[in-house]
Amino acid sequence: MTTPFLSVRDLTVDFHTEDGVVHAVDGLSFDVEKGTTLGIVGESGSGKSVTNLAILGLHNPAHSRITGEITLDGDELVRAPKSQLERLRGNKVAMIFQDPLTSLSPYHSVGRQIGETFRKHTGASRKEARDRAVEMLRRVGIPHAQTRVDDYPHQFSGGMRQRVMIAMALVCDPDLLIADEPTTALDVTVQAQIIDLLKDLQQQFGTAIILITHDLGVVAGAAHEVLVMYAGRAVERGTVREVLGSPRHPYTWGLLSSMPRLHAPVDVPLVPVRGTPPSLINVPPGCPFHPRCDFQALAGPDMCRGERPELSPHRGHGDACYLTPAQKQDIFIEQIKEHL
Amino acid sequence: MYRFLIRRILGAVVILLIISAVTFFLFFAIPRDPARLACGKLCTPESLEIVRHNMGIDEPVFLQYWHWLTAIFTGRDFTYGHCDAPCLGYSFVNQEPIFNAIVDRFPTTLSLTIGAAVVFLFFGVGAGMVAAARQGRALDKIASSASLLGASMQIYFVGVLATWILVDQTQILQRPTYHDFTANPVAWASGLLLPWLVLSIIFTANYTRMTRSSMVEQLSEDYVRTARAKGMSTRTVFLRFAWRGSMGPIVTIFGVDLGVLLGGAIITEQTFSLHGIGELSIKAVENQDLPMLLGVVLVSATAIVLFNIVVDAVYAFIDPRVRLN
Amino acid sequence: MTSPRKRAAATVALFAAGALALSACASGGGGGGAAAPSGAAAPTPTQDTQAVSKITVGTAQDSTGPAAPEPGATKGGTVNMIDRDDFSHLDPARVYLNYNSSASKLFTRQLTEFKTAPDGSLKLVGDLATDPGSTDDNGKTWKFVLKDGIKWQDGSAITSADVKHSFERLFASFTPEGPPYAEQWLLPEGEKYTGPYEGKHLDTIEAVDDKTIVFHLNSAHTDFNFTVAMTGFGIVPEKHDTKEKYDKMPYSSGPYKIVSHVTDKSLDLERNEFWDPATDPIRNAYPDKWHMEFGVQSLQSTDRFIADNGTDKNTMTFHNPVAPERLQQVVNDPELMKRTVRGLTPFTTFFNINTSRIKDVKVRQAIIKAFPMQQERQLQGGEIGYGKYATTIMSPTVLGYEPFDLYGKLAKPQGDPEAAKQLLTEAGQPNPTIVYAYNQTPVQEKVAVAIKTGLEKAGFKVVTKPLNSTTYYDAIGHVDNPYDLYWGGWAADWPTGYTALAPTYDGRQIADQAPNYSHLNVPEINDAIDKAAAITDPVEAGKAWAAVDRQIMEQAPIVPEAYQTYFGLYGSGLGGVKFDIVTGEQSPTDVYVKQ
Repeated sequence: MTTPFLSVRDLTVDFHTEDGVVHAVDGLSFDVEKGTTLGIVGESGSGKSVTNLAILGLHNPAHSRITGEITLDGDELVRAPKSQLERLRGNKVAMIFQDPLTSLSPYHSVGRQIGETFRKHTGASRKEARDRAVEMLRRVGIPHAQTRVDDYPHQFSGGMRQRVMIAMALVCDPDLLIADEPTTALDVTVQAQIIDLLKDLQQQFGTAIILITHDLGVVAGAAHEVLVMYAGRAVERGTVREVLGSPRHPYTWGLLSSMPRLHAPVDVPLVPVRGTPPSLINVPPGCPFHPRCDFQALAGPDMCRGERPELSPHRGHGDACYLTPAQKQDIFIEQIKEHL
Repeated sequence: MYRFLIRRILGAVVILLIISAVTFFLFFAIPRDPARLACGKLCTPESLEIVRHNMGIDEPVFLQYWHWLTAIFTGRDFTYGHCDAPCLGYSFVNQEPIFNAIVDRFPTTLSLTIGAAVVFLFFGVGAGMVAAARQGRALDKIASSASLLGASMQIYFVGVLATWILVDQTQILQRPTYHDFTANPVAWASGLLLPWLVLSIIFTANYTRMTRSSMVEQLSEDYVRTARAKGMSTRTVFLRFAWRGSMGPIVTIFGVDLGVLLGGAIITEQTFSLHGIGELSIKAVENQDLPMLLGVVLVSATAIVLFNIVVDAVYAFIDPRVRLN
Repeated sequence: MTSPRKRAAATVALFAAGALALSACASGGGGGGAAAPSGAAAPTPTQDTQAVSKITVGTAQDSTGPAAPEPGATKGGTVNMIDRDDFSHLDPARVYLNYNSSASKLFTRQLTEFKTAPDGSLKLVGDLATDPGSTDDNGKTWKFVLKDGIKWQDGSAITSADVKHSFERLFASFTPEGPPYAEQWLLPEGEKYTGPYEGKHLDTIEAVDDKTIVFHLNSAHTDFNFTVAMTGFGIVPEKHDTKEKYDKMPYSSGPYKIVSHVTDKSLDLERNEFWDPATDPIRNAYPDKWHMEFGVQSLQSTDRFIADNGTDKNTMTFHNPVAPERLQQVVNDPELMKRTVRGLTPFTTFFNINTSRIKDVKVRQAIIKAFPMQQERQLQGGEIGYGKYATTIMSPTVLGYEPFDLYGKLAKPQGDPEAAKQLLTEAGQPNPTIVYAYNQTPVQEKVAVAIKTGLEKAGFKVVTKPLNSTTYYDAIGHVDNPYDLYWGGWAADWPTGYTALAPTYDGRQIADQAPNYSHLNVPEINDAIDKAAAITDPVEAGKAWAAVDRQIMEQAPIVPEAYQTYFGLYGSGLGGVKFDIVTGEQSPTDVYVKQ
């Protein structure tokens, strides 16, 4: 069996704060293959972004502790030296952030920001970098790229800014693209354009993409596989069809129920997930979701607050819940599906 | 950009006019008589009248102001001599045109300001950046404590102490004096070294704290994270991205400080017996020398207004968002 | 000799910061001034007051040069002088401040001048004149004869025409600042005169021949020869009179001439080759050059004198006193004390009692009796930092001064509330209200509290009224001002009773902004002033003035506060640095650079 392109094993990220240790990611494992998209979904604070910043080694070592293994194309990254990570970032692995306005430097022209990444990793001249920037802007669909290359981020609209961001991320033809909520700050029509753009680019260059979002709709349209995260752990994993078609974890059900549907009757209310996300300093024992879970009684007395449930099965469509497969299926079909 | 500058300069002229008028009328609003002060102990009403006439304060205040204003363009004759345009009046006390006095004093103040600014900007911003880069570590703590200590210093304390130790006792440094820069740059620098250092102690602290906090703020900005995610080295991120952003507030304060210092570092000049604008202003107040007072007030105001414009221009240079709006 | 405190007052008001209040004067006065640390003068060494026990009028013999040599003095070298302020005027006609006079001694000569004997006594002698002048009609006509060999800096002779010109130009419109006496006394009744520049001359000043000048005064002034010793009556050459510009660059008649003068920065002098020491009974003029620098605060000059490095060794100051912050250090260091100059200045301070509001003399006397002199002076800086207790109006530096203490203040400087109560009972006003107006500075706030506390012990009700420093003198200068008690100071223009008493207690001179701040108007005293002024013999006149002093103090128009002291330092490389009793500062005339 070949090793996956990106393999994350038992990743743990702790932050040391004045209030205590924040367990942002706790024993997370997943794989991403070339040419595929993994969607990572979850509420804010579920550890989605932390995980991906860990892949790039962007956490401040003074305040964080990272264990586990991250292997990219055969290279171990957790213990890699700073210089190796610097060579990797923006080159083999690139990242797109949520808010393109704040994520682009307001002080430099977009051409410069795109070009400097290219120069850094290829040693190209200014002229070459500029030409490359124009080419990239054209590729992501920015009209009049030749002139707009000297403009500043604030002179672009939101969607165009995100295209700039993508152009910048793709300038070195990365093998892995991490898109952290790339469409959240955009309006719906622009969202679709951006997702289409990402898909086109993936088809063209065979890039692996990690798409971080809290929006299952985006996942449904763009991802091949889905990882649902809760309190720093994976609670459900599988293909888009598996996870969205027959979800098994009560949290996933909650997420699905809280999603607005275009074709749903107006009188069906949206049901947000009950309660608030847990504190990552004092994570509830056992299944971290149990204080918010409506079905914990079905799993048996004190089951959910005892041992922590592991993701099973190890391959394919897995979930971390003590309910029996039959219970899960019944509950989903009888209680959840009709409301979706 | 040019329209911006022209608009700002016109605005500045209006502000200076208002300031001069306010100073003028406030001066006479208080019931005091500079003529009485100049006239001597046994001043007779007759000689008081003569002194008033010599000073040009026997006319109605509005007329005085008008004459003062027009003299800037036309020059004016006074009892003690002619005052060429731009005539800012004739000192009640020194019997010399105000403009000459200011031209004579300004190089001292300018040298004091520029030298000190170079020192405190270099050390202040430098220490602040080191502190920000070494956040929470020993160097940061040293820089932060030192800046707190420096900020709580007073020039008349540090200055006297430094003079006592470095000049009077050990004679490591020269007693502060002003030498013309063009005639002898070495003497110029060595003569002003002590005031520069002392003035810098107080200012450096401020810049250290400001640079540190501004840098720390910038380092947590999204675009800095983006830069790191692009593979930019720590140094590039620090200097090209975070530093650029953190310069905004520092430039603003620097402009204000320069403006204030150019208006005369009163206490510093007094402490080191330097003959700058600050000393002029003290004498002007002490002697109720209205023309001199107006002169120094205008110099200070001009410096502050001017540096406000410069700050805005620099700001536009640093931040394209300002430039293009 | 106008009060330097006025200038200080303005400074203090506008720059409340203590550092800036290092004023030109020795320490704070009621009119303002710097704070002295209280208790600064705790270990009071006996103040060598050099009080003028004797002031005499010298002879022609006393008026010949050269000056009495200083033991061990040698010629040559450069003496540096550092001070807070530049000289505000150098044109003699515009000089009134003592401080300006100190510098003028080096390049301006008058008809007469004071010669100080080693025992501290003063003698009025001829400077340009062969003797201190003569009058044969009890002071209405005065004759002076010029010496041979007196020259301007270009070698031309100083003539009586120059003297006449110097006095006539006092009337010109550009010289209003100097002492007003000549303008008042030399103008014939009902005439107007605006100076010699349009060809008009005064007949009252008569140049009889090249050497002889006669003044015909419009009223008798028996001490006119003292008057013309003032720098204000110094000589100006008719040929080189640059009028308005003369103030910047006066022409020398003395041992030095001005090489350069940069306003508020520096003044450089070098020898005037045409000055003949044989004509000069006062100036030794040992150094070849003088270099003066201004803008040095008293704290800085004190520190420089203490450190005594390099050229500071050859440095003195005319006016800067030892800074209050360093007083203790200097007093406790015997080595430093060897380099100090001490003495009583002509300046006296007192609290005016507004006699037009407090008409009952017993109430005024009660104020004096109850006054907490000791507590109040301690706050101002004590004996060294401020001055000796005063009990008279005339200071010990005035000819004829007689010490008396009508109200027993020296015995009970802390105040005598019981005696005051007694006086108030006699006056039938056991609890009179006193409005005390003062200059609002930190020190004066404390002084006000001390005064209030002291007076209230005797039954007074005291209302304190703080005034703004810039307007203090204007406020108390109004004859109908609403205050009962307010600080003031006075210095005699020359050391006779006339200028010490007449301007301030002659009831006929009461006017807004005139110096009679207590508004005393007693016909007997006015008469006594006239009589004393008419006495030709200086010794007799001195006695008469002392009697007037006592007569005035019986009326209790003021609470005497202090005879101001001067206490200054100089560099170790200098010798012959002395206190000048007339100016109250360090004197430049006998200074030499030690070889």
